[in-house]
Amino acid sequence: MRKFLLPLLFLLLFIIESLFVEYLPAKVFGMERIFVPHFLFIAILFLTIFVGRKHGIIYAAIFGLLFDIVYVEIIGIYFFLYPFISYLIYKLLQIIQSNIITAFLAALLGISLLEIGVYEMNYLIHVTDLDFIGFINLRFYPTLILNAVITLVAAYPLKWLFEKHSEALRAE
Amino acid sequence: MPQFFLNKRLIILLVSIIVLVALIGFSLRERSKLTWPEQFLKDTTGWVQSLVSKPTHFVTGFFENLQDLQNTYDENKELKSRVENLVNLEAQVQELKKDNEELRDILGEKRTLRDFKPLPATVIGRNPDRWHEMIIIDKGKLNGIEKNMAVVTATGLLGKVKNVTQFSSTVQLLSAMDPKNRISAVVQGKKDVYGFVQGFDDKQKLLLIKSIPSGDKIEKGQTVITSGLGGVFPKGLMIGKVVDIKPDQYGLNQTALVKPGADFYDIENVIVIKRSMTKSVNMQTSDGKEKDY
Repeated sequence: MRKFLLPLLFLLLFIIESLFVEYLPAKVFGMERIFVPHFLFIAILFLTIFVGRKHGIIYAAIFGLLFDIVYVEIIGIYFFLYPFISYLIYKLLQIIQSNIITAFLAALLGISLLEIGVYEMNYLIHVTDLDFIGFINLRFYPTLILNAVITLVAAYPLKWLFEKHSEALRAE
Repeated sequence: MPQFFLNKRLIILLVSIIVLVALIGFSLRERSKLTWPEQFLKDTTGWVQSLVSKPTHFVTGFFENLQDLQNTYDENKELKSRVENLVNLEAQVQELKKDNEELRDILGEKRTLRDFKPLPATVIGRNPDRWHEMIIIDKGKLNGIEKNMAVVTATGLLGKVKNVTQFSSTVQLLSAMDPKNRISAVVQGKKDVYGFVQGFDDKQKLLLIKSIPSGDKIEKGQTVITSGLGGVFPKGLMIGKVVDIKPDQYGLNQTALVKPGADFYDIENVIVIKRSMTKSVNMQTSDGKEKDY
């Protein structure tokens, strides 16, 4: 049972992300901004921080590939960025102490890196012609605020779940 | 220096960047269909998505009904006034239809570019990162959906089918930026003006209709529909209304800014349009590389 818990949780987050965007209206609080949910990536970052590097990067690669195939149809963008940023965050939290506050800040840093990375890649392959300032105003700030709120709510349950999971792993 | 190259992490990073570039290059090239592992994964996730999205559709539908109830009185008043006009209009339409049929009989030409077969579908997912504006619908190859078919909502043209798998398909919205995606359109007026839907203004949320000759007169408020000349879309699908006109970079053409009729957000049900009149022979020989729809 415990073995299937994490994949199921991640799959659920993977689908909720798309449902969230499906029902999000064009104007939120009267502003036409683009809010991008990163539920899945927040969970992957917390997994990397509280369970371990190996787990985090494997999950990041698998779900990055799935994300690319199902939602983006360009294979490579998330398949590369998810594991890469997870690794960077892991390295960062080796230097500073990992507790819930640093994990929260690290998750925000990871999401900003992801957004900027995806923007740069899409700009390179001409999926978008938005300039950087436009990107910051239209997408970056709203996305960061949305995900900060989500992380704030989800941080404690995720930490509890993953710490329990890592204890179970050690006991095996 | 040799030590620099022996660094294991650096080598992994370099190899993964090479793989990344190769994969992106592979998926960006013109593909007539997806590879079978991709189709398999998409069908599997599509099945799970439809399992999750059906109950959510039900719940949101319930709340929407509650909201509708609040406005019932005002809406009813307005609708009543419209119904009176409708009767008149209906009679006129009947007459015109009859006229049209008679004239067609005389000409001996039964089929038109307007004829199509509608296939209703439900939205089961949407691309969360919103760079590539795409939705996933629950009908696929088995339901008769093919690549490049037009997709509409009740209020206007929404996009076209980008990829098809057995049980689901992805629809690229008009708001997605794709230089390869051009739709032949007509601005309806005293004299029809032809152009291409090509691009979307992200900040103003308006469609751009380009390649309109600079001599042609367009006015604000005119309706834009598909022309059916591209060979895939039928004629007469509503695209939107003209909001603004501006000259092109070199002054040879003009660009019309069009407010799309369809709402690109909060989409639940769509209709896939299958054109009755098939492509002409020389279009089929061009082997799927024809880029005007």
